[in-house]
Amino acid sequence: MENAKDTFYITLRNRLATLNPNRTMILRAVTRPGILVEEGEAPVAELPLDVFVLRWTKLDADTQLPSILAQMTCEIHYATAGTQNNAGLDRGRALEAMDDELLQLLCPSSAQKMNYVQTQAAQMGTLIFWSQALFAPATTVRERMGSLATVDVFAFQEQGEQ
Amino acid sequence: MSWDLSTQNPEDHALRLANALLRANGGTTALLQMPPATGDTTDAGQLGLNAPSFQSLPLSPVVFRRMRATMKEGQPAKYELLVAAVAVQAAVSELQLSSADTLFSMAASVVVGGKLFLIESIAVSESMGAVYMYRFLLRESASEWQMKQASQ
Repeated sequence: MENAKDTFYITLRNRLATLNPNRTMILRAVTRPGILVEEGEAPVAELPLDVFVLRWTKLDADTQLPSILAQMTCEIHYATAGTQNNAGLDRGRALEAMDDELLQLLCPSSAQKMNYVQTQAAQMGTLIFWSQALFAPATTVRERMGSLATVDVFAFQEQGEQ
Repeated sequence: MSWDLSTQNPEDHALRLANALLRANGGTTALLQMPPATGDTTDAGQLGLNAPSFQSLPLSPVVFRRMRATMKEGQPAKYELLVAAVAVQAAVSELQLSSADTLFSMAASVVVGGKLFLIESIAVSESMGAVYMYRFLLRESASEWQMKQASQ
């Protein structure tokens, strides 16, 4: 399952770097595309703005198939307070831009599964694939507008894979 | 409507007073956990595979105390860390950062007495526009932290 989660994140990250090279963040002294896996970073009191945050929640497994099919639910959280130049009055537009970016990041909805535990990432035998994003109603806390999209990611368990 | 445009001469008496009071009232050392100067740019570094190699940045004097908390079941205890602005200024200048905010945004957590705490929020105390003390609201971390006594 971990390989599928890693592959999903790296796929979205690489797509974001191509789609919107300006959406970057500085995290642990590294400038990188504005997307992160929550469980792979230091805990924070409040999620960062203008960044996509992946949170893995639910796990299901279909054991009736020749290979176990794992279904993992990924919540993608993002929020914005607009830009300083517009005094935050463009926060609705900024959130809309992130909605649009996310939809584009998720297409096409499959990727070759990779193993990133090795020093040189190794291609695995199957694909991971995911459902369409389900968007929850946007939330507003003072000037902070947030959104949440939920995606189900599917992956077959390969031989020897944990 | 009129504005107060009178000149105010900033002095550092509050800064020095806070420094002396924090040092005298149980002053100790806190260690900010900072990312290394050259970060990990590999995929493994972003997937939680590589150790983050945080570096400890000492802040002193600080006073550490438990908040007078309303206890809630299942909630870790909260603590307050009072940090002299002198210590923060020294850390900002050591790392050649633009501001204290940048320093705090880079810090992943803080270690006090060999125990790891997460930073919930940071407030400042000012006198005539000059910060003399920072107040960190900390929450106890669930993860254990191995600290060598020699590094404290």
